[in-house]
Amino acid sequence: MAEVSNSSPSPAPDAPGNRALNLAPVYRSAILVLTRGFRLGAALLALGLAVAAIKGESLKHSAEDFPDVLPAVFDGKASGIVSLAILCLMATPVATVLVVAVGFFRAGDRRFGAFSLVVLCVLTISISLSLFR
Amino acid sequence: MDVSRSIELGVVSAAAAIVGSMLGLGGGVFLVPLFTLFFGVDQKLAIGASAVAVVTNSVVGSSVHLRSRFTNLRLAMLLQVPTASGATVGALIGASAPERFVNALFGAVLTYAAVSMAFQRQAAIAGTEDTPDPWHLGAEYLDPATKQVVHYVPMRVRLGMGVSGVAGVISGMLGVGGGVIQVPAMNLLMRVPVKAAAGTSAFMVGITSVATAFVYYSRDKIDPTVVVPAMIGIFVGSQAGSRLTRRVRAQRLVLLFVLVLLYLGGSLLLKSAGVDIPWQK
Repeated sequence: MAEVSNSSPSPAPDAPGNRALNLAPVYRSAILVLTRGFRLGAALLALGLAVAAIKGESLKHSAEDFPDVLPAVFDGKASGIVSLAILCLMATPVATVLVVAVGFFRAGDRRFGAFSLVVLCVLTISISLSLFR
Repeated sequence: MDVSRSIELGVVSAAAAIVGSMLGLGGGVFLVPLFTLFFGVDQKLAIGASAVAVVTNSVVGSSVHLRSRFTNLRLAMLLQVPTASGATVGALIGASAPERFVNALFGAVLTYAAVSMAFQRQAAIAGTEDTPDPWHLGAEYLDPATKQVVHYVPMRVRLGMGVSGVAGVISGMLGVGGGVIQVPAMNLLMRVPVKAAAGTSAFMVGITSVATAFVYYSRDKIDPTVVVPAMIGIFVGSQAGSRLTRRVRAQRLVLLFVLVLLYLGGSLLLKSAGVDIPWQK
């Protein structure tokens, strides 16, 4: 259900608008994490492709295994840097959920902080299943 | 790495993202059929690439929706519980499911998307600020088109959670974002305004696809020679698409896209039945 009004957000104590105003820091944190995560991932991807071009290194047809990513990066392998870029982008939404959970708790919204933690748990299970299969 | 093939994959991904963003579908729904039918990419590798591309697209696009407050973070986190759970289960099933089964399911989803687009309708959103909100999901945003503040309270929350779980399973199995199911469900079932539904879905699909992407990564189904062009293409295409959307009346193109979706969906259904189609790999 919704209504449209020309007024600015309502000041009523328990109105949706007022609750939304309290969440401004949560929204800001989520935007910050998404923006920085994307920039880092994009920078790593550009670096990996540049290293591949300079060294004449072909990208492999499969990403580096989780334990091999950092050693490959430290060895200056393009495939390691590209794999790290992919993992960085994949980790960004996970980090966002964590920040949103913390933000909800800080805003005193325990219920949705708990929902966010459940989402984080599900993602952790998914990642763990991948790591320890 | 075959550079010309990578460029082709990147261009196709960009085109898929342009079309997807103009229609509010994302671009993932086109990637897997295009990669598998016309480039002969292994189905599982195509799904893995699509999942990573959807994550990238969501990471970029969500910031815009969060700034405009189209994204309802409370609603997103509540619906994400069944969606992420479903996606994990779906990815585990999909990673080892027979190719024919996945093709049939994908064909059915594309056909559904085509039909729902052809008969596109929006729920009438009406109510007051005093509408009961037991789940505390009510939110508001300033609609830039009308310069009015829109208040809304999502309805039928439990039903919405059930549909989200199904969307998650399909998303996990096929590597698509799931927006094609989530947005109509939020709008038609839960009475969430379309802009809020699209903004909330854009944020959710990234989290959903992470669950899928990690499963495929661990099973060596992430091929950088496919993933990187897809990521770059989807990023460039979605940026171009959002600009084009302001200039082109997307509604005029709907019929063309419905036909494309029906063609891709039909091709996958035929492929699942063992029928080969000329020009396809």
